[in-house]
Amino acid sequence: MQINAKIHLTRASGFTLAVDLTVKPTGVTALYGPSGSGKSTVLRLLAGLEHTKPSDQILISSDEQIWHADNQFTPPHLRDIGYVFQQPQLFPHLSVRRNLEYAVKRRRGNQDLTLQQVSGWLGIHHLLDARPTSLSGGEAQRVAIARVLLSGARCLLMDEPLGAIDYAARLQILPYIDGLHRVLDIPIVYVSHALDEITYLADDVYMLDKGRVTASGRIFDLASSLTLNSHEGDAVAAVIEGVVHTHDTDYGLSRLTLGSQSIYVSLCSQPPGTKVRLRIPARDVSLTLQAPVQTSILNILKGVVSEIETASAKPSLLVKIKIDDHYILSRITRKSLAQLELSPGKAVFIQIKTVALLTDPTQQVAQHL
Amino acid sequence: MTATLITLQLALTSTVLLIIIGTPIAWWLARSRGVAKIFIEPVVALPIVLPPTVLGFYLLLAFAPDGIVGQWWLLATGKGLAFTFSALVIGSIIYSLPFYVQPLQVAFENIEQSLLDAAATLGATPLDRFLSVVVPLSSRGFITAICLAFAHTIGEFGIVLMIGGNIPGETRVLSIALFDHVESMEYDQAHIMALGLLAFSFTLLTLVYSLNRRWQLRFASQS
Repeated sequence: MQINAKIHLTRASGFTLAVDLTVKPTGVTALYGPSGSGKSTVLRLLAGLEHTKPSDQILISSDEQIWHADNQFTPPHLRDIGYVFQQPQLFPHLSVRRNLEYAVKRRRGNQDLTLQQVSGWLGIHHLLDARPTSLSGGEAQRVAIARVLLSGARCLLMDEPLGAIDYAARLQILPYIDGLHRVLDIPIVYVSHALDEITYLADDVYMLDKGRVTASGRIFDLASSLTLNSHEGDAVAAVIEGVVHTHDTDYGLSRLTLGSQSIYVSLCSQPPGTKVRLRIPARDVSLTLQAPVQTSILNILKGVVSEIETASAKPSLLVKIKIDDHYILSRITRKSLAQLELSPGKAVFIQIKTVALLTDPTQQVAQHL
Repeated sequence: MTATLITLQLALTSTVLLIIIGTPIAWWLARSRGVAKIFIEPVVALPIVLPPTVLGFYLLLAFAPDGIVGQWWLLATGKGLAFTFSALVIGSIIYSLPFYVQPLQVAFENIEQSLLDAAATLGATPLDRFLSVVVPLSSRGFITAICLAFAHTIGEFGIVLMIGGNIPGETRVLSIALFDHVESMEYDQAHIMALGLLAFSFTLLTLVYSLNRRWQLRFASQS
Protein backbone atom coordinates (compact mmCIF):
# COMPACT_ATOMS: atom_id res chain seq x y z
CA MET A 1 0.00 0.00 0.00
CA GLN A 2 1.26 3.47 -0.82
CA ILE A 3 -0.16 6.47 1.00
CA ASN A 4 -0.12 10.02 -0.29
CA ALA A 5 -1.05 12.86 2.01
CA LYS A 6 -1.38 16.60 1.53
CA ILE A 7 -2.28 18.18 4.84
CA HIS A 8 -3.02 21.79 5.62
CA LEU A 9 -4.89 22.46 8.82
CA THR A 10 -5.14 25.17 11.44
CA ARG A 11 -5.98 24.72 15.08
CA ALA A 12 -7.82 27.16 17.33
CA SER A 13 -4.53 27.54 19.24
CA GLY A 14 -2.99 29.05 16.08
CA PHE A 15 -0.94 25.93 15.33
CA THR A 16 -0.67 25.28 11.60
CA LEU A 17 0.23 21.95 10.11
CA ALA A 18 1.37 21.92 6.49
CA VAL A 19 2.81 18.59 5.42
CA ASP A 20 3.16 16.76 2.11
CA LEU A 21 4.00 13.15 2.61
CA THR A 22 4.44 9.94 0.66
CA VAL A 23 4.60 6.59 2.38
CA LYS A 24 6.30 4.14 0.05
CA PRO A 25 4.90 0.60 -0.25
CA THR A 26 7.90 -0.92 1.52
CA GLY A 27 10.24 0.11 4.28
CA VAL A 28 9.98 2.42 7.24
CA THR A 29 8.98 6.04 6.77
CA ALA A 30 9.82 7.99 9.90
CA LEU A 31 8.37 11.26 11.13
CA TYR A 32 10.98 12.82 13.34
CA GLY A 33 10.75 16.01 15.34
CA PRO A 34 10.41 17.53 18.78
CA SER A 35 7.15 17.22 20.69
CA GLY A 36 4.61 19.71 19.39
CA SER A 37 6.01 19.51 15.87
CA GLY A 38 2.78 17.91 14.64
CA LYS A 39 4.14 14.46 13.81
CA SER A 40 1.56 12.59 15.90
CA THR A 41 -1.23 14.66 14.38
CA VAL A 42 -0.06 13.62 10.91
CA LEU A 43 -0.13 9.98 11.97
CA ARG A 44 -3.61 10.30 13.52
CA LEU A 45 -4.81 11.93 10.30
CA LEU A 46 -3.46 8.99 8.29
CA ALA A 47 -5.42 6.69 10.61
CA GLY A 48 -8.60 8.80 10.46
CA LEU A 49 -8.57 9.41 14.21
CA GLU A 50 -8.16 13.16 14.15
CA HIS A 51 -11.03 15.64 14.06
CA THR A 52 -10.77 18.28 11.36
CA LYS A 53 -12.67 21.41 10.47
CA PRO A 54 -14.31 21.95 7.07
CA SER A 55 -11.84 24.77 6.44
CA ASP A 56 -8.88 22.39 6.74
CA GLN A 57 -7.52 21.19 3.42
CA ILE A 58 -6.69 17.54 3.58
CA LEU A 59 -6.20 15.00 0.85
CA ILE A 60 -5.14 11.55 1.92
CA SER A 61 -5.29 8.55 -0.36
CA SER A 62 -3.98 5.02 -0.42
CA ASP A 63 -3.54 3.18 -3.72
CA GLU A 64 -7.16 2.25 -4.30
CA GLN A 65 -9.19 4.72 -2.32
CA ILE A 66 -9.53 8.27 -1.12
CA TRP A 67 -9.28 8.28 2.66
CA HIS A 68 -9.79 11.93 3.39
CA ALA A 69 -10.87 14.72 1.08
CA ASP A 70 -13.17 17.74 1.22
CA ASN A 71 -16.37 15.74 1.14
CA GLN A 72 -15.09 12.24 1.61
CA PHE A 73 -13.97 10.41 4.71
CA THR A 74 -13.10 6.76 5.21
CA PRO A 75 -13.48 5.86 8.90
CA PRO A 76 -10.51 4.18 10.62
CA HIS A 77 -12.02 0.68 10.69
CA LEU A 78 -12.23 0.66 6.88
CA ARG A 79 -8.66 1.82 6.23
CA ASP A 80 -6.90 -1.54 6.70
CA ILE A 81 -4.30 0.05 8.93
CA GLY A 82 -2.79 -1.04 12.21
CA TYR A 83 -1.90 1.47 14.89
CA VAL A 84 0.51 1.08 17.77
CA PHE A 85 -0.02 3.80 20.34
CA GLN A 86 2.45 5.15 22.86
CA GLN A 87 0.40 3.40 25.56
CA PRO A 88 -0.38 -0.21 24.63
CA GLN A 89 -4.17 0.31 24.78
CA LEU A 90 -4.89 -3.30 25.63
CA PHE A 91 -8.49 -3.98 26.57
CA PRO A 92 -8.44 -4.28 30.37
CA HIS A 93 -11.51 -6.54 30.50
CA LEU A 94 -9.88 -9.20 28.30
CA SER A 95 -6.93 -11.50 28.97
CA VAL A 96 -3.86 -11.20 26.76
CA ARG A 97 -5.07 -14.15 24.70
CA ARG A 98 -8.53 -12.60 24.26
CA ASN A 99 -6.91 -9.31 23.30
CA LEU A 100 -5.06 -11.11 20.51
CA GLU A 101 -8.19 -13.01 19.49
CA TYR A 102 -10.03 -9.69 19.31
CA ALA A 103 -7.75 -8.82 16.38
CA VAL A 104 -7.96 -12.28 14.81
CA LYS A 105 -11.78 -12.15 14.78
CA ARG A 106 -11.74 -8.83 12.97
CA ARG A 107 -8.80 -9.66 10.72
CA ARG A 108 -8.83 -7.94 7.34
CA GLY A 109 -7.48 -11.08 5.67
CA ASN A 110 -4.24 -9.73 4.30
CA GLN A 111 -2.00 -12.33 5.90
CA ASP A 112 -2.30 -15.61 7.71
CA LEU A 113 -0.04 -15.34 10.73
CA THR A 114 -1.38 -17.44 13.60
CA LEU A 115 -1.68 -16.39 17.20
CA GLN A 116 0.88 -19.07 18.09
CA GLN A 117 3.42 -17.81 15.53
CA VAL A 118 3.12 -14.20 16.54
CA SER A 119 3.21 -14.79 20.29
CA GLY A 120 6.21 -17.06 19.83
CA TRP A 121 7.99 -14.48 17.75
CA LEU A 122 7.36 -11.67 20.25
CA GLY A 123 8.09 -13.88 23.23
CA ILE A 124 4.73 -13.48 24.92
CA HIS A 125 3.68 -17.14 25.09
CA HIS A 126 3.94 -17.21 28.86
CA LEU A 127 1.76 -14.10 29.15
CA LEU A 128 -1.24 -15.33 27.19
CA ASP A 129 -3.40 -16.04 30.22
CA ALA A 130 -2.36 -12.92 32.12
CA ARG A 131 -4.50 -9.83 32.61
CA PRO A 132 -3.14 -6.78 30.74
CA THR A 133 -3.01 -4.83 34.01
CA SER A 134 -0.41 -7.25 35.40
CA LEU A 135 2.10 -6.73 32.56
CA SER A 136 5.16 -4.49 32.59
CA GLY A 137 5.29 -1.63 30.09
CA GLY A 138 7.58 -3.53 27.73
CA GLU A 139 5.50 -6.72 27.90
CA ALA A 140 2.27 -4.82 27.30
CA GLN A 141 3.73 -3.07 24.26
CA ARG A 142 4.91 -6.40 22.81
CA VAL A 143 1.35 -7.70 23.22
CA ALA A 144 0.05 -4.56 21.51
CA ILE A 145 2.42 -5.15 18.59
CA ALA A 146 1.35 -8.80 18.40
CA ARG A 147 -2.30 -7.71 18.36
CA VAL A 148 -1.67 -5.33 15.48
CA LEU A 149 0.20 -8.00 13.52
CA LEU A 150 -2.79 -10.33 13.85
CA SER A 151 -5.25 -7.72 12.60
CA GLY A 152 -4.24 -8.15 8.97
CA ALA A 153 -3.25 -4.52 8.56
CA ARG A 154 -1.79 -3.45 5.22
CA CYS A 155 0.14 -0.59 6.76
CA LEU A 156 1.46 -0.08 10.29
CA LEU A 157 1.31 3.30 11.97
CA MET A 158 3.43 3.54 15.10
CA ASP A 159 3.20 6.56 17.37
CA GLU A 160 6.24 6.63 19.65
CA PRO A 161 5.69 2.97 20.52
CA LEU A 162 8.77 2.96 22.75
CA GLY A 163 8.10 6.36 24.29
CA ALA A 164 6.55 5.13 27.50
CA ILE A 165 8.82 2.22 28.37
CA ASP A 166 12.18 1.99 30.08
CA TYR A 167 15.52 1.90 28.29
CA ALA A 168 16.23 -1.82 28.72
CA ALA A 169 12.81 -2.80 27.36
CA ARG A 170 13.26 -0.40 24.44
CA LEU A 171 16.44 -2.17 23.38
CA GLN A 172 14.57 -5.44 23.55
CA ILE A 173 11.66 -4.30 21.38
CA LEU A 174 13.55 -2.28 18.76
CA PRO A 175 14.81 -5.37 16.86
CA TYR A 176 11.24 -6.73 16.71
CA ILE A 177 10.00 -3.54 15.12
CA ASP A 178 12.94 -3.63 12.74
CA GLY A 179 11.93 -7.16 11.77
CA LEU A 180 8.28 -6.26 11.25
CA HIS A 181 8.39 -5.01 7.71
CA ARG A 182 10.56 -7.93 6.69
CA VAL A 183 8.09 -10.44 8.16
CA LEU A 184 4.99 -8.67 6.90
CA ASP A 185 6.17 -6.92 3.76
CA ILE A 186 4.03 -3.88 4.53
CA PRO A 187 5.02 -0.25 5.01
CA ILE A 188 5.52 1.22 8.45
CA VAL A 189 5.11 4.86 9.41
CA TYR A 190 7.11 5.45 12.54
CA VAL A 191 6.80 8.56 14.68
CA SER A 192 9.51 9.38 17.20
CA HIS A 193 11.57 12.14 18.73
CA ALA A 194 14.37 9.69 19.60
CA LEU A 195 17.13 9.85 17.01
CA ASP A 196 18.59 6.45 17.86
CA GLU A 197 15.26 4.82 16.99
CA ILE A 198 15.10 6.73 13.71
CA THR A 199 18.66 5.89 12.61
CA TYR A 200 18.05 2.29 13.59
CA LEU A 201 14.75 1.81 11.79
CA ALA A 202 14.02 4.44 9.20
CA ASP A 203 14.55 4.21 5.47
CA ASP A 204 12.93 7.54 4.64
CA VAL A 205 12.71 10.38 7.10
CA TYR A 206 10.53 13.47 7.31
CA MET A 207 11.92 15.94 9.81
CA LEU A 208 9.15 18.08 11.26
CA ASP A 209 9.30 21.27 13.23
CA LYS A 210 6.40 23.57 14.18
CA GLY A 211 4.06 21.86 11.76
CA ARG A 212 6.34 21.97 8.71
CA VAL A 213 8.68 19.55 7.03
CA THR A 214 12.19 20.96 7.47
CA ALA A 215 13.97 18.16 5.61
CA SER A 216 13.12 14.84 4.05
CA GLY A 217 14.90 12.05 2.25
CA ARG A 218 16.76 8.78 2.74
CA ILE A 219 18.12 8.36 6.26
CA PHE A 220 21.65 7.91 4.88
CA ASP A 221 21.45 11.21 3.00
CA LEU A 222 20.05 13.11 5.95
CA ALA A 223 22.57 11.68 8.40
CA SER A 224 25.44 12.78 6.15
CA SER A 225 23.97 16.14 5.21
CA LEU A 226 26.28 19.02 6.04
CA THR A 227 23.54 21.58 6.43
CA LEU A 228 21.50 19.48 8.85
CA ASN A 229 24.57 18.69 10.93
CA SER A 230 26.19 22.11 11.03
CA HIS A 231 25.05 22.88 14.58
CA GLU A 232 25.40 19.49 16.09
CA GLY A 233 29.03 19.48 17.32
CA ASP A 234 30.37 16.22 18.67
CA ALA A 235 27.17 14.24 18.18
CA VAL A 236 27.43 14.24 14.37
CA ALA A 237 27.57 10.75 12.93
CA ALA A 238 26.96 9.27 9.52
CA VAL A 239 24.77 6.21 9.10
CA ILE A 240 25.69 3.70 6.42
CA GLU A 241 24.61 0.22 5.52
CA GLY A 242 27.01 -2.69 5.08
CA VAL A 243 26.63 -6.40 4.49
CA VAL A 244 28.02 -9.00 6.90
CA HIS A 245 30.79 -10.89 5.05
CA THR A 246 32.68 -13.13 7.49
CA HIS A 247 33.12 -13.59 11.22
CA ASP A 248 36.57 -13.85 12.78
CA THR A 249 36.00 -15.39 16.20
CA ASP A 250 39.74 -15.52 17.01
CA TYR A 251 40.01 -11.76 16.99
CA GLY A 252 36.40 -11.11 17.94
CA LEU A 253 35.70 -9.19 14.75
CA SER A 254 33.22 -9.29 11.90
CA ARG A 255 34.10 -8.16 8.42
CA LEU A 256 31.46 -6.22 6.53
CA THR A 257 31.51 -5.23 2.91
CA LEU A 258 30.90 -1.65 1.99
CA GLY A 259 30.66 -1.49 -1.77
CA SER A 260 34.02 -2.84 -2.99
CA GLN A 261 35.78 -2.20 0.32
CA SER A 262 35.42 -3.75 3.72
CA ILE A 263 35.21 -2.62 7.30
CA TYR A 264 35.69 -4.42 10.64
CA VAL A 265 33.34 -4.20 13.59
CA SER A 266 33.22 -6.08 16.86
CA LEU A 267 31.89 -9.59 16.39
CA CYS A 268 28.18 -9.51 15.63
CA SER A 269 25.62 -12.28 15.63
CA GLN A 270 24.07 -11.66 12.21
CA PRO A 271 24.76 -14.35 9.61
CA PRO A 272 26.80 -13.48 6.49
CA GLY A 273 24.70 -11.71 3.89
CA THR A 274 22.68 -9.72 6.42
CA LYS A 275 22.40 -5.98 5.89
CA VAL A 276 23.45 -4.06 8.98
CA ARG A 277 23.58 -0.38 9.78
CA LEU A 278 26.68 1.34 11.04
CA ARG A 279 27.00 4.59 12.83
CA ILE A 280 30.27 6.39 12.32
CA PRO A 281 30.87 9.48 14.49
CA ALA A 282 32.48 12.30 12.50
CA ARG A 283 34.99 13.07 15.25
CA ASP A 284 36.35 9.52 14.99
CA VAL A 285 37.12 9.82 11.28
CA SER A 286 40.47 11.26 10.22
CA LEU A 287 41.81 11.89 6.72
CA THR A 288 45.24 11.35 5.15
CA LEU A 289 46.50 11.85 1.61
CA GLN A 290 48.83 8.82 1.64
CA ALA A 291 47.88 5.33 2.64
CA PRO A 292 48.68 5.07 6.34
CA VAL A 293 51.26 2.38 7.13
CA GLN A 294 51.89 0.60 10.38
CA THR A 295 48.94 2.04 12.17
CA SER A 296 46.81 0.54 14.93
CA ILE A 297 43.71 1.70 13.15
CA LEU A 298 42.02 -1.22 11.49
CA ASN A 299 39.53 0.51 9.27
CA ILE A 300 41.16 2.40 6.46
CA LEU A 301 39.07 3.13 3.40
CA LYS A 302 39.59 4.97 0.17
CA GLY A 303 37.25 7.76 -0.77
CA VAL A 304 36.76 11.06 -2.51
CA VAL A 305 35.98 14.40 -0.90
CA SER A 306 32.47 15.28 -1.95
CA GLU A 307 31.61 18.39 0.00
CA ILE A 308 33.21 20.66 2.58
CA GLU A 309 31.31 22.69 5.15
CA THR A 310 31.73 26.34 4.32
CA ALA A 311 34.27 27.62 6.76
CA SER A 312 32.82 29.38 9.70
CA ALA A 313 34.52 30.98 12.64
CA LYS A 314 34.64 27.61 14.34
CA PRO A 315 38.03 25.88 14.63
CA SER A 316 36.69 22.67 13.10
CA LEU A 317 34.46 21.77 10.20
CA LEU A 318 32.80 18.80 8.58
CA VAL A 319 33.96 17.10 5.40
CA LYS A 320 31.68 14.76 3.51
CA ILE A 321 33.43 11.87 1.81
CA LYS A 322 32.08 9.53 -0.80
CA ILE A 323 33.06 5.88 -0.40
CA ASP A 324 31.64 4.04 -3.40
CA ASP A 325 27.92 4.66 -2.91
CA HIS A 326 28.14 5.63 0.75
CA TYR A 327 28.77 8.93 2.43
CA ILE A 328 30.50 9.46 5.74
CA LEU A 329 31.47 12.59 7.62
CA SER A 330 34.76 13.62 9.09
CA ARG A 331 35.33 16.42 11.54
CA ILE A 332 38.72 18.04 10.98
CA THR A 333 40.30 21.35 12.02
CA ARG A 334 40.42 24.28 9.65
CA LYS A 335 44.21 24.11 9.91
CA SER A 336 44.18 20.48 8.69
CA LEU A 337 41.94 21.47 5.83
CA ALA A 338 44.45 24.05 4.73
CA GLN A 339 47.46 21.77 5.17
CA LEU A 340 45.92 18.91 3.19
CA GLU A 341 44.54 21.34 0.58
CA LEU A 342 41.31 19.43 0.48
CA SER A 343 38.75 20.25 -2.15
CA PRO A 344 35.83 18.40 -3.68
CA GLY A 345 37.00 15.59 -5.95
CA LYS A 346 40.27 15.00 -4.11
CA ALA A 347 41.07 11.37 -3.27
CA VAL A 348 41.71 10.68 0.41
CA PHE A 349 42.30 7.82 2.81
CA ILE A 350 39.87 7.61 5.66
CA GLN A 351 40.85 6.23 9.06
CA ILE A 352 37.93 5.28 11.24
CA LYS A 353 38.56 4.86 14.93
CA THR A 354 35.15 3.65 16.11
CA VAL A 355 32.26 2.07 14.32
CA ALA A 356 29.04 1.21 16.11
CA LEU A 357 26.81 -1.46 14.73
CA LEU A 358 23.31 0.02 14.96
CA THR A 359 21.72 -3.36 14.81
CA ASP A 360 23.21 -3.96 18.22
CA PRO A 361 21.42 -1.10 19.92
CA THR A 362 23.47 -1.26 23.12
CA GLN A 363 26.23 0.52 21.23
CA GLN A 364 24.15 3.57 20.55
CA VAL A 365 24.73 6.75 22.41
CA ALA A 366 23.84 9.57 20.07
CA GLN A 367 20.75 11.55 20.84
CA HIS A 368 21.04 14.25 18.21
CA LEU A 369 21.62 14.27 14.54
CA MET B 1 -51.77 -8.78 44.96
CA THR B 2 -52.84 -7.20 41.66
CA ALA B 3 -51.21 -3.95 42.76
CA THR B 4 -47.88 -5.78 43.25
CA LEU B 5 -48.13 -7.43 39.84
CA ILE B 6 -48.96 -4.19 38.10
CA THR B 7 -46.10 -2.46 39.89
CA LEU B 8 -43.62 -5.12 38.82
CA GLN B 9 -44.99 -5.14 35.29
CA LEU B 10 -44.69 -1.37 35.11
CA ALA B 11 -41.15 -1.36 36.51
CA LEU B 12 -40.04 -4.13 34.19
CA THR B 13 -41.57 -2.62 31.04
CA SER B 14 -40.22 0.84 31.83
CA THR B 15 -36.73 -0.50 32.59
CA VAL B 16 -36.53 -2.48 29.36
CA LEU B 17 -37.67 0.56 27.37
CA LEU B 18 -35.26 2.75 29.31
CA ILE B 19 -32.35 0.50 28.34
CA ILE B 20 -33.34 0.92 24.69
CA ILE B 21 -33.98 4.66 24.86
CA GLY B 22 -31.64 5.75 27.64
CA THR B 23 -28.44 3.99 26.54
CA PRO B 24 -27.99 5.98 23.30
CA ILE B 25 -28.86 9.19 25.17
CA ALA B 26 -26.23 8.43 27.83
CA TRP B 27 -23.67 7.62 25.13
CA TRP B 28 -24.43 10.78 23.24
CA LEU B 29 -24.20 12.91 26.39
CA ALA B 30 -20.91 11.24 27.36
CA ARG B 31 -19.26 11.79 23.97
CA SER B 32 -20.86 14.94 22.60
CA ARG B 33 -19.01 18.21 22.83
CA GLY B 34 -21.59 20.21 20.90
CA VAL B 35 -23.84 23.05 21.97
CA ALA B 36 -26.95 20.83 22.03
CA LYS B 37 -25.59 18.97 25.05
CA ILE B 38 -25.86 22.15 27.17
CA PHE B 39 -29.64 22.03 26.70
CA ILE B 40 -30.30 18.31 26.55
CA GLU B 41 -28.42 17.49 29.76
CA PRO B 42 -30.65 19.64 32.05
CA VAL B 43 -33.80 18.42 30.27
CA VAL B 44 -32.85 14.84 31.10
CA ALA B 45 -32.05 15.81 34.70
CA LEU B 46 -35.25 17.86 35.27
CA PRO B 47 -37.27 15.02 36.86
CA ILE B 48 -34.73 14.87 39.72
CA VAL B 49 -35.56 18.37 40.94
CA LEU B 50 -39.11 18.87 39.66
CA PRO B 51 -41.99 17.87 42.00
CA PRO B 52 -43.56 14.76 40.42
CA THR B 53 -46.89 16.52 40.43
CA VAL B 54 -45.58 19.24 38.12
CA LEU B 55 -44.39 16.67 35.64
CA GLY B 56 -47.60 14.69 36.12
CA PHE B 57 -49.71 17.77 35.49
CA TYR B 58 -48.06 18.53 32.16
CA LEU B 59 -48.12 14.90 31.14
CA LEU B 60 -51.82 14.74 32.01
CA LEU B 61 -52.46 17.72 29.72
CA ALA B 62 -50.42 16.13 26.95
CA PHE B 63 -52.07 12.73 27.36
CA ALA B 64 -55.63 14.09 27.40
CA PRO B 65 -57.68 13.18 24.28
CA ASP B 66 -57.17 16.75 22.97
CA GLY B 67 -53.54 16.90 24.14
CA ILE B 68 -50.57 16.64 21.79
CA VAL B 69 -49.69 13.05 22.63
CA GLY B 70 -53.25 11.99 23.46
CA GLN B 71 -54.58 13.06 20.05
CA TRP B 72 -51.89 11.17 18.25
CA TRP B 73 -52.39 8.13 20.47
CA LEU B 74 -56.15 8.19 19.80
CA LEU B 75 -55.50 8.22 16.07
CA ALA B 76 -52.98 5.42 16.27
CA THR B 77 -54.77 3.08 18.66
CA GLY B 78 -58.35 4.26 18.75
CA LYS B 79 -58.21 4.56 22.53
CA GLY B 80 -57.55 7.33 25.03
CA LEU B 81 -54.14 7.50 26.69
CA ALA B 82 -54.74 9.17 30.04
CA PHE B 83 -55.47 6.87 32.98
CA THR B 84 -54.12 3.77 31.20
CA PHE B 85 -51.19 1.46 31.88
CA SER B 86 -49.47 2.78 28.74
CA ALA B 87 -49.65 6.29 30.13
CA LEU B 88 -47.94 5.05 33.29
CA VAL B 89 -45.15 3.45 31.26
CA ILE B 90 -44.51 6.65 29.30
CA GLY B 91 -44.60 8.70 32.48
CA SER B 92 -42.23 6.29 34.25
CA ILE B 93 -39.74 6.41 31.42
CA ILE B 94 -39.61 10.18 31.55
CA TYR B 95 -39.53 10.28 35.33
CA SER B 96 -36.84 7.61 35.72
CA LEU B 97 -34.74 8.72 32.74
CA PRO B 98 -32.13 10.64 34.76
CA PHE B 99 -31.76 7.77 37.22
CA TYR B 100 -30.87 5.50 34.32
CA VAL B 101 -28.91 7.95 32.17
CA GLN B 102 -26.68 9.61 34.75
CA PRO B 103 -24.82 6.59 36.20
CA LEU B 104 -24.40 5.24 32.69
CA GLN B 105 -23.14 8.57 31.37
CA VAL B 106 -20.49 8.66 34.11
CA ALA B 107 -19.44 5.10 33.23
CA PHE B 108 -19.22 5.99 29.53
CA GLU B 109 -17.22 9.14 30.24
CA ASN B 110 -14.66 7.04 32.11
CA ILE B 111 -13.89 4.99 29.02
CA GLU B 112 -10.80 6.32 27.32
CA GLN B 113 -11.29 7.38 23.72
CA SER B 114 -7.91 5.85 22.90
CA LEU B 115 -9.22 2.35 23.72
CA LEU B 116 -12.00 2.91 21.19
CA ASP B 117 -9.45 4.25 18.70
CA ALA B 118 -7.44 1.07 19.19
CA ALA B 119 -10.53 -1.04 18.55
CA ALA B 120 -11.32 0.98 15.41
CA THR B 121 -7.83 0.50 14.00
CA LEU B 122 -8.21 -3.24 14.62
CA GLY B 123 -11.17 -3.13 12.25
CA ALA B 124 -14.09 -2.89 14.69
CA THR B 125 -17.17 -1.01 13.43
CA PRO B 126 -18.78 1.60 15.73
CA LEU B 127 -21.50 -0.84 16.91
CA ASP B 128 -18.89 -3.58 17.38
CA ARG B 129 -16.77 -1.16 19.45
CA PHE B 130 -19.77 -0.32 21.60
CA LEU B 131 -20.69 -3.94 22.26
CA SER B 132 -17.17 -5.36 22.61
CA VAL B 133 -15.46 -2.55 24.52
CA VAL B 134 -17.92 -0.02 25.93
CA VAL B 135 -20.55 -2.40 27.33
CA PRO B 136 -18.17 -4.75 29.18
CA LEU B 137 -16.14 -1.84 30.54
CA SER B 138 -19.24 -0.07 31.84
CA SER B 139 -21.04 -3.10 33.26
CA ARG B 140 -20.94 -1.47 36.71
CA GLY B 141 -22.67 1.58 35.33
CA PHE B 142 -25.26 -0.59 33.61
CA ILE B 143 -26.08 -2.50 36.81
CA THR B 144 -26.38 0.68 38.84
CA ALA B 145 -28.48 2.35 36.15
CA ILE B 146 -30.83 -0.58 35.71
CA CYS B 147 -31.32 -1.09 39.45
CA LEU B 148 -31.90 2.59 40.11
CA ALA B 149 -34.37 2.92 37.24
CA PHE B 150 -36.23 -0.22 38.32
CA ALA B 151 -36.38 0.75 41.99
CA HIS B 152 -37.33 4.30 41.20
CA THR B 153 -40.23 3.22 39.00
CA ILE B 154 -41.50 0.97 41.78
CA GLY B 155 -41.39 3.78 44.30
CA GLU B 156 -43.09 6.37 42.10
CA PHE B 157 -46.23 8.04 43.43
CA GLY B 158 -47.03 11.57 42.42
CA ILE B 159 -46.81 11.13 38.69
CA VAL B 160 -48.80 7.90 38.80
CA LEU B 161 -51.55 9.60 40.73
CA MET B 162 -51.74 12.43 38.21
CA ILE B 163 -51.73 10.48 34.95
CA GLY B 164 -52.82 7.01 36.01
CA GLY B 165 -55.62 7.75 38.38
CA ASN B 166 -56.37 4.84 40.63
CA ILE B 167 -57.94 2.11 38.53
CA PRO B 168 -57.63 -1.32 40.17
CA GLY B 169 -56.03 -3.86 37.86
CA GLU B 170 -54.94 -1.15 35.39
CA THR B 171 -53.10 1.70 37.02
CA ARG B 172 -53.33 1.03 40.73
CA VAL B 173 -49.72 0.40 41.75
CA LEU B 174 -48.33 -0.39 45.22
CA SER B 175 -47.58 3.15 46.31
CA ILE B 176 -51.12 4.22 45.41
CA ALA B 177 -52.65 1.18 47.09
CA LEU B 178 -50.66 2.01 50.22
CA PHE B 179 -52.01 5.53 50.16
CA ASP B 180 -55.55 4.15 49.80
CA HIS B 181 -55.11 1.86 52.78
CA VAL B 182 -53.87 4.68 54.95
CA GLU B 183 -56.77 6.91 53.89
CA SER B 184 -59.27 4.24 54.86
CA MET B 185 -57.44 3.54 58.14
CA GLU B 186 -56.45 -0.03 57.11
CA TYR B 187 -53.09 0.17 58.86
CA ASP B 188 -52.41 -3.60 58.80
CA GLN B 189 -52.42 -3.78 55.00
CA ALA B 190 -50.54 -0.47 54.85
CA HIS B 191 -47.87 -1.96 57.10
CA ILE B 192 -47.42 -5.00 54.88
CA MET B 193 -46.99 -2.88 51.77
CA ALA B 194 -44.76 -0.28 53.38
CA LEU B 195 -42.52 -2.90 54.94
CA GLY B 196 -42.42 -4.86 51.70
CA LEU B 197 -41.34 -1.80 49.70
CA LEU B 198 -38.80 -0.88 52.35
CA ALA B 199 -37.30 -4.37 52.39
CA PHE B 200 -37.24 -4.51 48.60
CA SER B 201 -35.52 -1.16 48.21
CA PHE B 202 -33.00 -1.96 50.93
CA THR B 203 -32.13 -5.34 49.39
CA LEU B 204 -31.74 -3.89 45.92
CA LEU B 205 -29.50 -1.05 47.05
CA THR B 206 -27.36 -3.43 49.14
CA LEU B 207 -26.98 -5.59 46.07
CA VAL B 208 -25.95 -2.66 43.89
CA TYR B 209 -23.40 -1.36 46.37
CA SER B 210 -21.83 -4.75 47.02
CA LEU B 211 -21.63 -5.50 43.29
CA ASN B 212 -19.99 -2.15 42.76
CA ARG B 213 -17.44 -2.86 45.47
CA ARG B 214 -16.61 -6.25 43.98
CA TRP B 215 -16.10 -4.65 40.58
CA GLN B 216 -13.93 -1.96 42.05
CA LEU B 217 -11.66 -4.62 43.52
CA ARG B 218 -11.50 -6.51 40.26
CA PHE B 219 -10.51 -3.50 38.19
CA ALA B 220 -8.64 -1.74 40.97
CA SER B 221 -5.27 -1.68 39.22
CA GLN B 222 -6.78 -0.59 35.92
CA SER B 223 -7.70 2.95 36.83
